[in-house]
Amino acid sequence: MPPPAAVPPTPVPTAAPLPDVSELTVAPGPARSDGPDPDARAGSRAATEPITHLIPIVRRIVHARLGGDPLADDLVQETLTRVMTAIDRIDASMLEPYAISTARNVLANHWRGQDRERRNQHRALEIAIDGPSDSALLAGEDRSAMATALSKLSERDRALVLAHEVSGVDTATLAARDGSTPGAVAAQLSRARAKLRIEYLLAAEHVELPTPQCRAVLLALSAADRRRQRQLDAARHLLQCNVCAQLSTPLLARGKTSDDQITVGISVDADIVTARQAARELASRLSFSATALTTIATAVSEIARNIVRFAGQGEIVVELLRRPRAGVQIVARDAGPGIVDTQAALTEGYSTYHGLGLGLPGARRLMDEFQLVSEPGRGTTVTMTKWDSR
Amino acid sequence: MSSGPALVSILRQDSYLIASVHTALDDSEMIRLRNNLVEQIGRYRSNGVIIDVAALDVLDSFGAKTLATIAEMARLRGALTVIVGIQPDVAFAMVQLGMGTAGVPTALDLEEGLAYLNARVPRRPVRGPLGD
Repeated sequence: MPPPAAVPPTPVPTAAPLPDVSELTVAPGPARSDGPDPDARAGSRAATEPITHLIPIVRRIVHARLGGDPLADDLVQETLTRVMTAIDRIDASMLEPYAISTARNVLANHWRGQDRERRNQHRALEIAIDGPSDSALLAGEDRSAMATALSKLSERDRALVLAHEVSGVDTATLAARDGSTPGAVAAQLSRARAKLRIEYLLAAEHVELPTPQCRAVLLALSAADRRRQRQLDAARHLLQCNVCAQLSTPLLARGKTSDDQITVGISVDADIVTARQAARELASRLSFSATALTTIATAVSEIARNIVRFAGQGEIVVELLRRPRAGVQIVARDAGPGIVDTQAALTEGYSTYHGLGLGLPGARRLMDEFQLVSEPGRGTTVTMTKWDSR
Repeated sequence: MSSGPALVSILRQDSYLIASVHTALDDSEMIRLRNNLVEQIGRYRSNGVIIDVAALDVLDSFGAKTLATIAEMARLRGALTVIVGIQPDVAFAMVQLGMGTAGVPTALDLEEGLAYLNARVPRRPVRGPLGD
């Protein structure tokens, strides 16, 4: 014990007995954050003493929810700092519950901030989105395409877009004029912009949409509305519809693609290896063991082979999940013939190409969660997840 | 064979063939390995085959089935096959997947594999490939 020279009136002796051993073994964590000056260190170490025993529990709470997120340690630090500033006000016996709820609050704040960022992303991107079309207005063809696109919008949407984008009226003013709220106006603006992007593309490329579903899918993609995309099974539509696949390229390139996600197109044998290696590499960012990584790669290999053998073409999307727990999700999608009897396909030893019949049932055993959806004639989607248990 | 570094090298040691896989193989490359091995067994009158799969990232159902096929084809051609170098992680995934290379002899590494063959098939010097 360092000499308690200038210790604030913190109840060191009462806090110490709480966690007998762990306190001694986990001290080095926060010691790094101490200042380099030895005198100052002695003082601050005495002050941190009562909370060192909280580090493991805070760390556990934060890591359980964020997994291998590099931010996790920042949030642990933030929690501890908050506990430290409050330490004078809190009874030593209440320190642990206080730290736990502080950690939860810090996490909630973090997520709220992330959601806000996502919601407001279009503001940061606004110039980039409309920049090309603005400058394109100078060119004759693009000008007419833009005019056509604008004419396709509803009266109200058009007025709104023009007022905001061209005249520069802000959302608050627009809201006051319509007796609405700035949030509602912003949401409507973003829908109108999404429509405008599609109409512009259609006019510029001179294409007609082949199916009634096309417009809805493109709209969901343009608005970056993930829920709607899932509802419409947009990814499958893109596999089936060449027109939409082409039109969607600029729409998809617009949004920031998350680096927590990799899409691998599957059509030949070599893609199987690419897919399983991509899955392994992405999953290795979490704290999966080498064994778990091989397990994931093996499962991906099996379902990728199914795409090559039975559908000929498809894609595998590997995505890291942060919530509710850290894990890796793999979605394998194809627009192939589909599986008529999914129950049989999941049965051991059921094989249609002289394999071992282990593909689907094997992959199901390798992963924690497994879902097979197939529509004869439309295609098959396998969704499987492995949770990071550490 | 495609250009670029060899994915698999097949070496000859007297009457044994030693195939070392250097990287992850896709299905068609596994098939090519199978065909090359079976062809060379005849050409070099080999009576023992060692396949070193230590560098394989994954042994899925197709990979395992191909290895079993190679072993069976080699057996029909009069050669004994032993698989060596299956990594612990790969072994775990294979068991989880519900398959094994049951019936195909395995050994920990190349050394053990050679010992296994030496105990069962006589290694004899071979003069040269037939048909050259």
